[in-house]
Amino acid sequence: MLFFELFVQGLIHGSMYAMIAVGLTLVYGLLRILHVAHAGLFALGGYLGLLITNATGSLALAMITSALIVGLGGMLVYRLCYQPILDRPPYVPLIASIGVFIAMEEVFRLVFGPYGLTYNHPHLQSQVTLLGLNLRGAEIGMVITAMVLLGGLSYLAQNTRIGIAWRATVDDPEIAESFGIDAVKVRYLNFFIGSGLAAVGGIFISLLSNLVEPTMGGVPAYKALAIIVLGGLGNVKGTLVASLALGVVEAFGTIYIGSYLDRDAIAFAFLIAVLMIRPQGLFTGR
Amino acid sequence: MMRKLGTIVLLVGALAFTLAGAAAAAGTIKIGFHAPQTGFAASDGKSATIGAELAVEQINAAGGINGKMLELVVYDDQAQPAQAIPIANKLIGQDKVPIAVSGSYSAPTRSAAGVFQESRVPYISAYAIHPDITRAGDYVFRTSFLGEIQGKAGAKLIGELLGKKMVVMITLQNDFGKALADGFKSMTRDFGIEIVNEYEYSIKDRQFGSLVAKVKADDPEAIYASGYYFTAGPLVSQLRAAGVAVPIIGQEGYDSQKFIEIAGKAAEGVIITTSLDRDSDVPETKNFIEAFEKKAGFKADMVAASAHTAVMVAADALKRAGSTDSEPLRKALAETHLKASTGTISFNALGEVVKAVQNQVVKDGNWHRHSVIDDPGLLAPPDK
Repeated sequence: MLFFELFVQGLIHGSMYAMIAVGLTLVYGLLRILHVAHAGLFALGGYLGLLITNATGSLALAMITSALIVGLGGMLVYRLCYQPILDRPPYVPLIASIGVFIAMEEVFRLVFGPYGLTYNHPHLQSQVTLLGLNLRGAEIGMVITAMVLLGGLSYLAQNTRIGIAWRATVDDPEIAESFGIDAVKVRYLNFFIGSGLAAVGGIFISLLSNLVEPTMGGVPAYKALAIIVLGGLGNVKGTLVASLALGVVEAFGTIYIGSYLDRDAIAFAFLIAVLMIRPQGLFTGR
Repeated sequence: MMRKLGTIVLLVGALAFTLAGAAAAAGTIKIGFHAPQTGFAASDGKSATIGAELAVEQINAAGGINGKMLELVVYDDQAQPAQAIPIANKLIGQDKVPIAVSGSYSAPTRSAAGVFQESRVPYISAYAIHPDITRAGDYVFRTSFLGEIQGKAGAKLIGELLGKKMVVMITLQNDFGKALADGFKSMTRDFGIEIVNEYEYSIKDRQFGSLVAKVKADDPEAIYASGYYFTAGPLVSQLRAAGVAVPIIGQEGYDSQKFIEIAGKAAEGVIITTSLDRDSDVPETKNFIEAFEKKAGFKADMVAASAHTAVMVAADALKRAGSTDSEPLRKALAETHLKASTGTISFNALGEVVKAVQNQVVKDGNWHRHSVIDDPGLLAPPDK
């Protein structure tokens, strides 16, 4: 029973990782940029979600509005931070991205204060007994939302014109452009979707801890990087599997080896172990 | 951008320097102060700074120190040891403060303590808990409990006052959590406590799903969990949400209204060992709690009270020494016997404080008195 409960907790945590890491791997697949500022957008999503929920009392409205605004924010980061330096070596946009991330953390602190914000009336806190487990509404909500959104994304990629255009651009940008695909449009869409997903993840996390703080992007900032490496850089399916796998490994690891390794160390030990066996990641790139 | 920022910093610095110079001419006494104003610990730093500023305002309103006004010289150490050393040098060399207070965490305070000791400038740690801080030498004092002492008080609270024996420990993986755990474990035999299991978590964790599941399976009689309000708030609410109903015992890291805000109803009944008694009849404590809320716009916490106490102790020593020279000031500090917001402060030979532990419980969304542990044998700090 405990094993099952830990496994489920791992999947719940993993679905949160998935919502963050997919956006990151999408950006890597398309532009070969390690988009650290993504974690800043995740925190922005948490802030907007909380502020809108507290102002209107509607969590659904907060999710949609926050995902849209953060999606646009992601496009803005691309336009202002990455597009002007795309022809530089990869570490240049990486450094720019880290800079944007740190700046965002400090702006959150200056604008919203260092203490963190809490929900006036946290939603989805009711208890649900499912398969003999006590789960909170927010935990179930996060898993279902992740499944729906990521499923929708995969449908979009497989069955729509823009999805096909997007996959073609990831495969070979030059040939795709010669077929009349607007690569810039694809990039904007990419940032919009990835950032919107991260925003939703940020809101669910803030519901689970009832806390939105300036540094809430700190852990996802580097852990999502580990996940996308694990999943095979740029590989969306691999990223999903890696997210869930890492969630489960951490759930067991924090209990059984937590006194020797903390959660982050477990994540990176897992990463190293996998890379020793499969240097290309769990799944090969793209 | 960076260059512009640099220019602004320089300008502000120059301005501050001229202002400080002007003030010095008018006959003020400076107290050096460093606390995290940015970075991960900025919230504690802000509370501490407001607490320290309040102390200075109160002393100046009451006529200052032997006719001279106090001035707080504040620096941001980002809770980083690497920042604390240059700040200590600046306070000593540039600002020429006769005495300084740390409103920061253990790591930066430990680094700065050595610098102050070497320059023979008295230095008071307001709430940093590492044992090595006062071991830097005879110029370094501490107005808060050591982590170990508070851990021992926690063991007494659980084993004797609450009568719970089967305990799960949830320990924060840093010097604060480790020191508390060490102190707690050292007294388990005395209070008949059996540790069912001990888990550790990182200061960055906010999601405790797997840990909560395991604690539930352990089925203890009480939980001793170390942490700060931003880790303890989510931890306590997740424990309660999973149906864990046994008493949860925390420490001064929980001591903030923010903890109650985050954990909500789950905070009710949580007991902590700390140094600020909200239901105190002592005028120093009562006045502080009222004045702080008025100045800050939010409720007082342990960090604020500790910084307030430390500055009050510094001011008291300046007054009694009647001088800003290092040796008389150190001597005056060592002879401190002062009623302050966190209790009656006096120091032992090592510069460690001797005072009672205040146990506070959350009732109806506020901290209230649960009990007091005033057991000199149990709470005696090391003297070397």
